[in-house]
Amino acid sequence: MALGKIKADTLEHSTAGSVDTQYVVNGSAKSWVNFNGSGTVAIRDSYNVSSLADSDVGIYTLSWSNSFANDDYSSAGASGQNSNAMVTVSCAIDTTAPTTSASLYNTNYENGSGGRFDSNQVTIQVLGDLA
Amino acid sequence: MQTPQFQGTHLFDRLCWAKENLDGVQSDYRVVYEDSVDECAKILVPDPNWMACALQGGILPPVWVYHELAKDEAQPDFKKHTRGYLLHQTEPVEAMTEEQAIEYLILKDCPQNVVETWDTGNKTKMVICRKEQLPQTREWRNAWRISDELNLAA
Repeated sequence: MALGKIKADTLEHSTAGSVDTQYVVNGSAKSWVNFNGSGTVAIRDSYNVSSLADSDVGIYTLSWSNSFANDDYSSAGASGQNSNAMVTVSCAIDTTAPTTSASLYNTNYENGSGGRFDSNQVTIQVLGDLA
Repeated sequence: MQTPQFQGTHLFDRLCWAKENLDGVQSDYRVVYEDSVDECAKILVPDPNWMACALQGGILPPVWVYHELAKDEAQPDFKKHTRGYLLHQTEPVEAMTEEQAIEYLILKDCPQNVVETWDTGNKTKMVICRKEQLPQTREWRNAWRISDELNLAA
């Protein structure tokens, strides 16, 4: 990666119009992770993550290398399992509030029981302002 | 590969450089800790890309920077970080060994009450181990505890 900089407020295409670069800066994911939440938990790949805490069945805490500016960031996730189980990712903001440096996530069965579940494929992306 | 002179470069940009130029390092180390008597043991897993940065040197800020930001966040009137520049302007730390990186990660990501009291009281609250030493299945995961029989060498 070259360390030079291009400073521009707008990118303009010859025919398709223009976009403010702030859309790119503000609209890009500031962190993402793909990890195995079952067996011996391990991170497959990531960006801007320092560690993952395996806290209980289906409970994980992500910590970031570059903290967020505030705790109002937005998280999205997807999860699955090598079976017919549907698994959702949620942020447990009612029990453990996110901080600028870490956030707790749950993976739950998407069925009648809704119980927590260790998924072997968990992906999370986070958007927000960096510190 | 030589790390560029990064002091003053936004940490996010440094991580970009690392992602493009360094291979992830999967550590075999795990940190097991108990931060509540009512909850099971937690296992801290180092991120492979973060570990690559730690071993490379010249990328990550000193751990005290995170502690300063945590102090700011603990203030009752905290809205947003105003000293984020500490992450970017402070001289990055030199290359660490894997063991030093784990110590750094403990100071950064483990709860402070565990870091400060892990070897006090009746029971050890934190242990560094290899992943092979963890239970091989997640059976009774919600009951995992650090063994009371753990013998801590002086």
